[in-house]
Amino acid sequence: MYSSLLATIEGFRAALHSIRAHGMRSMLTMLGVIIGVAAVITVVAITQGLSYSIKQQLDDLGSDMVTIRAYTTSEQELLGFENTLSYDDFLALKGKVSGLEDMTAMMQPFSFGSSVRFGRNSTHTQIIGSDSSYQNVVRTYPQMGRFLSESDDLRRRRVAFLGSSLIEKLKMPDSPVGEFVSLNGEWFRVIGVAETVGSFFGFDQDNYIIAPFSTMRSLAGKEVTRNIDIMFRPSKGASLPEIQRQITQILRKRHGLQKDDPDDFEFRSAEKTKKQFNSVTQTVTLVAGGVVGVSLLVGGIGIMNIMLVSVTERTREIGTVKALGAPPSFIMIQFLIEALILSLLGGLLGILLGYGFAAFITLLLPNLTEVLVPFWAILLALSFTTAIGVIFGLAPASKAARLNPIDALKYE
Amino acid sequence: MASSHSDTANIIDMQGICKHYQMTEKTFCALNDINLSINANDYVAITGPSGAGKSTLMNILGCLDTPSSGQYHLAGVPVTQMSETQLAHIRNHSVGFIFQSFNLLPRATALENVMQPLVFRFIAMKARKARAAEALRRVGLSDKMHHFPSQLSGGQRQRVAIARALVTNPEVLLGDEPTGNLDSHTTREIMQLFDEIHDSGQTIILITHETEIANHCYRVININDGQIVSNTNHMRTEKCPIAMEQVAHV
Repeated sequence: MYSSLLATIEGFRAALHSIRAHGMRSMLTMLGVIIGVAAVITVVAITQGLSYSIKQQLDDLGSDMVTIRAYTTSEQELLGFENTLSYDDFLALKGKVSGLEDMTAMMQPFSFGSSVRFGRNSTHTQIIGSDSSYQNVVRTYPQMGRFLSESDDLRRRRVAFLGSSLIEKLKMPDSPVGEFVSLNGEWFRVIGVAETVGSFFGFDQDNYIIAPFSTMRSLAGKEVTRNIDIMFRPSKGASLPEIQRQITQILRKRHGLQKDDPDDFEFRSAEKTKKQFNSVTQTVTLVAGGVVGVSLLVGGIGIMNIMLVSVTERTREIGTVKALGAPPSFIMIQFLIEALILSLLGGLLGILLGYGFAAFITLLLPNLTEVLVPFWAILLALSFTTAIGVIFGLAPASKAARLNPIDALKYE
Repeated sequence: MASSHSDTANIIDMQGICKHYQMTEKTFCALNDINLSINANDYVAITGPSGAGKSTLMNILGCLDTPSSGQYHLAGVPVTQMSETQLAHIRNHSVGFIFQSFNLLPRATALENVMQPLVFRFIAMKARKARAAEALRRVGLSDKMHHFPSQLSGGQRQRVAIARALVTNPEVLLGDEPTGNLDSHTTREIMQLFDEIHDSGQTIILITHETEIANHCYRVININDGQIVSNTNHMRTEKCPIAMEQVAHV
């Protein structure tokens, strides 16, 4: 046991000496592993960074917020049906469901198109009709002016709350509160501008206009406002399944659904989206990791190849140390440790290089704010390279250990 | 570097040693019934023409190979049936090899080369360095300790190899044509060094085909066709001056 430990220490020393002595060859041997690990780390860092930043943004959007949306099964679609949620559904739910912090209705009146005009400037935007509760549910706060009030909705005032990027797009004054914008030929007075949220993978989240629900309904006509989204935020500590149960009961009854009929609406939450996104990220990471893992395998074969060449090249040297009393186990350990050091060193350099690559790519992708190399990825990369070192080092090490000292000494 | 054995004890004892190699159709007999005893502090030359079996005998003497049959005791230890690991241990503890082409590790300094056999004994680094430095001092290379083999002359390289062979205090020093790659002047220097080492009590066996080198030893064993054809004690009044003069003027 003690002599094995000493043999390992001496083998380690000898291996380090050999790696130093053959610096260039050692570097070339490691290259395959360095590139392989760097690729793995880059891919993992980017996917994890993406996942992290999307999660962050979803959290900012409000992970507690749940949207109820009409759901039409594919069979119903084939039969020409389209299920909808109506403003009456919203009214039926509002105040009837317990455990809610707030609830709001949202519509996107398509008859309004998507064009907004200020003076001579116009741009495309998302036009939303909602009420004062929208602010509480979606967590949209004004950076200037105010949000829609209850009376705006009750009195069908022609007022609008703007997403911040519209100021620039429409070349509005820095403080546009009190100015008028035109939606589909109707004038709306700007009452507030929202805090900037930023873009979400190229999608500008500050490009919208919110006007009172009742105003939009009266202007757009009942037909085009047939289908609305209902959004709510549960109170702290409230049970979401219980809330969903109450809503389901009310809506199913209102829609006259039979016991066996499927729901004609669905619940969508940021949490659910996050879960779906996580599963996509995991799949991408696994697939990319697997593909890049193959390159690591090639790197391992490279190590074996060069180690085998190294054994042949050092045959005479091996013969000499055998003549001086090196037992086969010592030669075996030395070559194995040499392969292990090369692959592990390659792994470590690969991790650093991969981190560097990922940091560089982060600079190019504005939404990727952080390079995230999880501990498991580092552990995996190092375990994999260790395994490669041992597996692909075995053949050359065993070849070296089995060399006949007489033949090795004669080798030219 | 006195041996642990008394002057009369057999360091080498070979009885009926044979070595056969299986060729494609017939068996080639490299050594045939070799009986050989070498005492402690002997200074022996094993000589013979090419293909006589010198190298095979040296390989068996140095425990690099095992005989096909017969008994071989090295310093009283039967080595015939030993495994490669056991033979490696014997080589490390009882044999000091000196090769014709020096066989130094090219990327290690003189000191590191001499330290090499001690690596397999797991001696502490400090003691290893001290012993290697002492061995190098003994062969007159104290000032070349940190030189690489490529920075040394042929004679200096062979001195490093001799220091490496001596550093483990072996029972027997085995030289395989140790002056084969050296010029006459360096040959003389190296032989003088062997003389000094022998004077300190070391058993030396030199494999050579050069008569002058063989005559320099106290005992000459001549082999041919795998058999010992003569085994004569070579009494010298001094360190073979004529032979050395001849070598010096070649």
